[in-house]
Amino acid sequence: MWLPLLGLILGLGLGLLADIQIPTVYENYLSIAVLAALDTIFGGIRANLQQVYDDKVFLSGFFFNIALAAGLAFLGVHLGVDLYLAAIFAFGVRLFQNIAVIRRILITKWEERHIKKDENTV
Amino acid sequence: MNKKIVTRITIVSFIVGLMIAVQYNTVQNPTTRDTRDIWAIRQELSEEKKRHSELLSEIESYNDLIEEYENNEKEQQADLLENTVEDLNEQVGLTSVTGPGVILNISPAIELINSGYSIENISPDLLIRLVNEIYHYNGLYVEIDGQRLTHTSAIREINGETTVNSVPIDTEVEMKVITDSYEKAEKLYGYLFASTFKDDFYLDNLNLTINKAQSDITIAPYDGKLSSQYIVEDNKGE
Repeated sequence: MWLPLLGLILGLGLGLLADIQIPTVYENYLSIAVLAALDTIFGGIRANLQQVYDDKVFLSGFFFNIALAAGLAFLGVHLGVDLYLAAIFAFGVRLFQNIAVIRRILITKWEERHIKKDENTV
Repeated sequence: MNKKIVTRITIVSFIVGLMIAVQYNTVQNPTTRDTRDIWAIRQELSEEKKRHSELLSEIESYNDLIEEYENNEKEQQADLLENTVEDLNEQVGLTSVTGPGVILNISPAIELINSGYSIENISPDLLIRLVNEIYHYNGLYVEIDGQRLTHTSAIREINGETTVNSVPIDTEVEMKVITDSYEKAEKLYGYLFASTFKDDFYLDNLNLTINKAQSDITIAPYDGKLSSQYIVEDNKGE
């Protein structure tokens, strides 16, 4: 469980130290891509906890979501419609739902463990 | 949890971390765009060039000094050191200096006094601005009403009186400025003559007279004690 967190911190540290910057024009795309990637990660964790995790779904979702979000933002820029808002909305809602499900599963697991402990002591 | 799954999630979260860091970097330090045109760049380049040549000549003069130190006998070295000390004294303002320069006179405007306006002190702000501009236009040594300006001189108001080096100055003031060469003195004169200082002083009911550049002006030394808080004598010797 701690390994993904370590990976995240490692990536953050490396990125901050490397001091890479992208042109301001592409800032919007990257922000949406970050949101899509976060959504995929939490989706993966939830799927794993619910034991429905599928490698193909996870990895394809990661890349496809990022590409779709960036493409939608690109289309929005060229059509003059803020389409990236749609992506932000969709991913935002999914992010919240995924995190809520993860929270519920973790609470249930914790309670189960507690009950087992009680039974053992009795 | 399956090991494979954990590895996958770790890799993906590593990429996410990288993306977030890049985004953070981009948002925090937006790259400032260079909006100068070719002329502005040329101008800046010429300024830097000027500075470059100034620094080069400074380095050269110091190199000469070092060479002199190294080449001379011990007794002469003492003389050289004395010369250096004298030079420094002159720069700091402890010796009297003679050279080409400009004399400015500040006096109350008679026509205004005759019609009943009161005489005001020379405002320290205005005086500071004038002194700064003089230094900016190659004024080397400045004296105000007999008070030599050093690097620690203060021009300020004390108890309603304008003071230089803590000595109150009159409303009728003679300012002496010494420059490197007569040419520079003329330039300074030209600049001051074209500036708005005359009008600025007239707002305070004062007349500023800018006299033509002269080839021989003498400025008295600073008669106070210079206190240096940070430079300490090193008695170690060699």
